[in-house]
Amino acid sequence: MASDSHSDPDEPTVENGSEVGIDTDAESNERLRRIVERNPTRLGVGRAGPRPTTEALLEFRADHGVARDAVHSRVSDDLLEEFGLVRLRTRVADTDQYLARPDLGRELDAESLERLERDCDPGPEVQIVVSDGLSSSAVEANVPQLLPALLDGLEARGVSVGTPVFVEFGRVDVMDAVGEELEADCCVNLIGERPGLRTAESLSAYLVYGPERGSATAKKSVVSNIHDGGLPPVEAGAELVDLIGEMLDAEASGVDLREDDREFRTES
Amino acid sequence: MNADPKSLTSVGIDVGTTTTHTVVSRLRVETPPGGAASPEIVDREIVFRGPVRETPLLDRETIDVEGVAAFVERDLEAAGLEPAAVDTGAVIVTGETARRENAEPLVHRVAADAGRFVAATAGADLEAVLAGRGSGAAAHAAETGGTVANVDVGGGTTNVAIFDGRFDGRKRGESRVLETRCLDVGGRLVRFDDDGRIGSISPPAGALAEALELPLAVGDEPDDELLAGLAAAMADRIVDLLEVPPFDRLTRELAIGELPTDPVSLDGVVFSGGVGRLVDSPPADPFAHGDLGGLLAAALREHERVRSWPVLESAEDLRATVVGAGTESTTLSGRTISIEPDLLPLRNVPVADVGDLAGLEESRLREPLEAAVARLRELHDLHDLDAVALSVADVGPLVYERLGSVADALASALEPLPPSLPIVVVVRQNCAKALGQLLERRSERPLVALDELAARDGDYLDVGAPIAGHDSVPVVVKTLAF
Repeated sequence: MASDSHSDPDEPTVENGSEVGIDTDAESNERLRRIVERNPTRLGVGRAGPRPTTEALLEFRADHGVARDAVHSRVSDDLLEEFGLVRLRTRVADTDQYLARPDLGRELDAESLERLERDCDPGPEVQIVVSDGLSSSAVEANVPQLLPALLDGLEARGVSVGTPVFVEFGRVDVMDAVGEELEADCCVNLIGERPGLRTAESLSAYLVYGPERGSATAKKSVVSNIHDGGLPPVEAGAELVDLIGEMLDAEASGVDLREDDREFRTES
Repeated sequence: MNADPKSLTSVGIDVGTTTTHTVVSRLRVETPPGGAASPEIVDREIVFRGPVRETPLLDRETIDVEGVAAFVERDLEAAGLEPAAVDTGAVIVTGETARRENAEPLVHRVAADAGRFVAATAGADLEAVLAGRGSGAAAHAAETGGTVANVDVGGGTTNVAIFDGRFDGRKRGESRVLETRCLDVGGRLVRFDDDGRIGSISPPAGALAEALELPLAVGDEPDDELLAGLAAAMADRIVDLLEVPPFDRLTRELAIGELPTDPVSLDGVVFSGGVGRLVDSPPADPFAHGDLGGLLAAALREHERVRSWPVLESAEDLRATVVGAGTESTTLSGRTISIEPDLLPLRNVPVADVGDLAGLEESRLREPLEAAVARLRELHDLHDLDAVALSVADVGPLVYERLGSVADALASALEPLPPSLPIVVVVRQNCAKALGQLLERRSERPLVALDELAARDGDYLDVGAPIAGHDSVPVVVKTLAF
């Protein structure tokens, strides 16, 4: 078997702390090492016969566990209190229903609609929504850095911001419902993305100008891959400040916003 | 462009206070493996060295651009080089004649694509640094890890740059400029007519002669003893400049810019410059150049203190100089940047490297930023520039509070700069937009913040107009080669 050509099969190649397990010449190993260094995916992890090595398997299962936790855990009250987020809920009852019924995740339950009217300022230029989506971990990890940069930036530009809300079991388009109810000019949804095996902490920001229920996805803008290994949350906050400014000026979002995208525009 | 993309033909034109010369060099450029790294000059070979000529002047302040261009054209012809074959280069105008209006037209005269050139004007301090890089003093400091002073004694000024080779996380083979010290002392401060009479005495030499009660006047037949006395007095000032504070009153009077307050212990001294190189190899006739240079060199050579110095040989037999702008790499900034589009494009923006702020507590952030701003003010004629750039390797953790502290420190460190001078902030981490917005709220200055870029001390940046909406700008990092 090819793997037996290791001079010492019990001793995996360890370089810079990462194990690179292929069994060819030094030059190929060096090339692989360079690729592995620059790529966060599971490359060159080696094998034991036809199976993954015990270590690779354990790492895989650990990462998978982190991903599952991100979906099944809930955002803490501490975070909501720290940033004064009003807690809302969609019509979804539990995680299983959330996964099975995307439609219920786009609409607020009756109590939340009431709370929205009672506790939130109507008619802001910008309404900020935070949703757990598929990763509560993403919200916990990124919102504390992103939100201050976003709020301070909008304030410095003289943009009025409504009472920020948190929506449990929210889908992207729940911002249409929230924005429509509050008659916001523009709505932002900071939502946890489907976790991967690489990171469970990726957040996206979806934005819509003139939110209304049932509006097309093409009308929405997105800033994605927000996490420490991607777009740093604090930089994302600053980018959203500029993007929101652009949307308010153009009174548009999604493919209607940028000149380059106009051929796809949603309204003629 | 050269057929071999890894080899660049570079033209370095040094228009000094008194002399001008052209150097053509071939730079070998390699991009280190790893993708993210920018190309580096791995080897430089001087293929042509033009004769050293007196800098043609229209008057005391103004360079005769046509005259210099004619010299350069003649030199390039002698080197067998068509303007189109020139890949890159630098025009450095130093000394009293440091006026950018002079440097820019020169670039257009000698280069088919002037955009590939650095046109830099240098005050005495930058001239000191350039000389020390050229003479090998900087390299010697880097190799030995010691502290080496380069003493560039020229026609009008003496420029000292002190290089510190102690390793502090920089790239191997680099040394840091510890400080520069400049003095109005040079060989051409006294000039002789063809008949041997004193033709002119520049004010600094006049002041020295007066202080020492040496009866010297224009039109006099020079008395060798008197002249040697003046040369010795000049040498005293140079020694004083290097060995102390506290400085002699005369030294302070002749100093250009600030003098340091702390003494530096030196592991080596290199002499360079038109007069400096005569210290090692005295000319047969000290008056061959029609000035005091030969006598000044002799006075330095025989100076009791200089004899005790660890004098090292200069690597250059000629005037140490810049050999061109080297690795020029066009890159794109990060996608999230903070810019005022009206400011762009910016050309030949000098960079001061702030270094790594990551380990610093909030209260200590200002020190390296202020030091970088001080370097920019010392080394460059600020009113001649499109902008100045500060390059930050690492701001520390990318958290909102930290960026706020860095922006506070930056806003305060920028205070001494003219309020209308645009500032380019270059960061390696992806945080230009956040930092730019925070800075915007703390400072009224015109500002461009770029990220995912690295630039070092002595680099020059060209920042182009934004591409693809306004998400990213092309940036050319031009590194001077010595």
